[in-house]
Amino acid sequence: MRPRSAALPVLLILFPLALALAVAQQPPAPAATPPAAAQPPSQVTIELNRGAGGRKIKIAFPAFRGQLGGDGAAAARELEETVRRDLDASGYFEIQGPDVLSGLHLTGDVQKDLAAYKSTGNEVILLGEVKNEEDRLVFDGRVLDAGSGQAALAKRYRGPYTVSRRMAHTFADEVVRALLGKVGIALSSIAFTSERSGAKEIWVMDYDGANPRKITGHHSTSMSPAWSPDGTALAYTSFFNGPPALYLADLASGHKRPVVTSGSLNTSPSFAPDGKRIAFARSLDGNVEIFTTDLDGGNLRRLTNSPAIDTNPAWSPKGGNIAFTSSRAGNPHIYLMDAEGANQRRITFDGTYNDGAAWSPEGDLIAYASRRDGQFQIAITNVGTLETQVLTSGPGENESPTFSPDGRKIAFTSRRSGRKQIWVMELDGSNQRPITTEGSNDMADWSRGVPPQ
Amino acid sequence: MNRKWLAWIVVPALLTFMYGCPKKKPKTPPPDLNVETTTVPAPAPSPPVRGTEIVATVTPPVEDKKEDPLLSSDLQVVNEELRRRGFSPDVYFDYDESTLSDDTRQKLSRNADLLKSQPQFSVTIEGHADSRGTNEYNLALGERRANAVKDYLASLGVAANRVRTISYGEERPVCTEDVESCWSQNRRAHMIITGRANVG
Repeated sequence: MRPRSAALPVLLILFPLALALAVAQQPPAPAATPPAAAQPPSQVTIELNRGAGGRKIKIAFPAFRGQLGGDGAAAARELEETVRRDLDASGYFEIQGPDVLSGLHLTGDVQKDLAAYKSTGNEVILLGEVKNEEDRLVFDGRVLDAGSGQAALAKRYRGPYTVSRRMAHTFADEVVRALLGKVGIALSSIAFTSERSGAKEIWVMDYDGANPRKITGHHSTSMSPAWSPDGTALAYTSFFNGPPALYLADLASGHKRPVVTSGSLNTSPSFAPDGKRIAFARSLDGNVEIFTTDLDGGNLRRLTNSPAIDTNPAWSPKGGNIAFTSSRAGNPHIYLMDAEGANQRRITFDGTYNDGAAWSPEGDLIAYASRRDGQFQIAITNVGTLETQVLTSGPGENESPTFSPDGRKIAFTSRRSGRKQIWVMELDGSNQRPITTEGSNDMADWSRGVPPQ
Repeated sequence: MNRKWLAWIVVPALLTFMYGCPKKKPKTPPPDLNVETTTVPAPAPSPPVRGTEIVATVTPPVEDKKEDPLLSSDLQVVNEELRRRGFSPDVYFDYDESTLSDDTRQKLSRNADLLKSQPQFSVTIEGHADSRGTNEYNLALGERRANAVKDYLASLGVAANRVRTISYGEERPVCTEDVESCWSQNRRAHMIITGRANVG
């Protein structure tokens, strides 16, 4: 059958990576031959203002130590670059790299250099050392308090050269957790649709657009990918067997199976936060309503009952609410209801067309596409206060927003550069940049859990 | 410099047009004419263009002595023949609307008559939308458009069990530019014969 053949390439990609990382993700190695005079990373607390009020932590990031030849050199370079980019992209840090640090008189003994690092305002120092053991990359990463010289974090990673990016992401997220107590996004993934291979298929890429891999091979139109909360599966819509129907792709095995395929239209899935049910839009005699279903298609329940279009449900992260689009007031607007369908109420009033709600991880905001002056823009509304802000401007049909797992960024689709591409911006609308370039790409959904590789 | 070149292209083209076409009787089957048309050199200026127009009008109404095209096993032939008899394959909608205009109702009325006179065919109605708005909302909109057409045909006596609907939303545009003249072509319900009941 078709799903099986589609699963094979995914398996081929996922399996070695999963294996590699099982090796790479060695348990935290506090005593793993810490270079130089590192302190054990006990329960050192670094007294920082933790980036409160948007203030960034100043971090010294000297070049990693260690020389590798051949493939190892490229892997080590990619590792270092990726850690730097991840920390920069997190938005928490102001990085002083080798270019800035070269102006300091550093001895190479970090304990003796603390004052020099602090002289340019650094609060923490990130040190990396790379070497190879046979054909494997070994990376020691440490973060020190520039005041006390004590280690806040010391990790050792080992794995084949091919997983250097994944190593870097893992370490970057550890740094964010150690210094800020927050979940990093470097290991998160973005599911999306792409036509780069011909037909519109479901793809997954790293949060920064790297490492794209094709999930479906239906050679039809497949769309609306939605992550399961644990990041192990994607629900999606596909036309490959006729009318648009709901399917579930297990990422580790590559296996695809039907969820709801009866009737003329089943679209736009969204998982409940417990991962056990899916909200979606289904046609009843030509009128589209919101339903929920178990993952096997059982226990089908109808939540809306209006003669207008009701579609695009988005289950709130705490599970109590479902946001959806309805045209019952004449134009499409965002509504909220309880997860059982009661208490349906409109929450967007600006603009003539509001559609495609996505929740922030905290459940306080929804982002959506809003038509303003004839152009679609990304807007966010505070669900409690209904305060609304428009984050994009100009042409480009900006739509399909999705929040990063830390709630600090929004990925969305824009045509401002020609074809549809996935863009990312900060929550205040700043720093808008594309993360896809190949073919036409759309319908991003940012993972919550860490998806298998 | 280029002129001589042009003459080599234009003159034969004109000759083909002036002597080639009229020689053929109007009843000549269309395939040959089609071949002629496509071989008219593209870079040449107006004459060949006019030529194509005239060739097109010369195309005779198919006077098939052998067989009614509606009996063809090729559904493409069937669809072409129904169009020739006045079947409108597409009806159009306003932005974010699924209501049928008077003009659309007239077209559907003609379609219904044809479908009722040919009860052996089953029809698929595809609902389409322009690219503005989310793909998911547009799937719902396409579904409504397809069903609005289905319901109207049913009210005119076309049995609902002969009609299948499918919404493609904005996934199958006929035109991909970001202008109203293009969007309006995409906001449509497309009707096509997709099956035949076994007669006899």
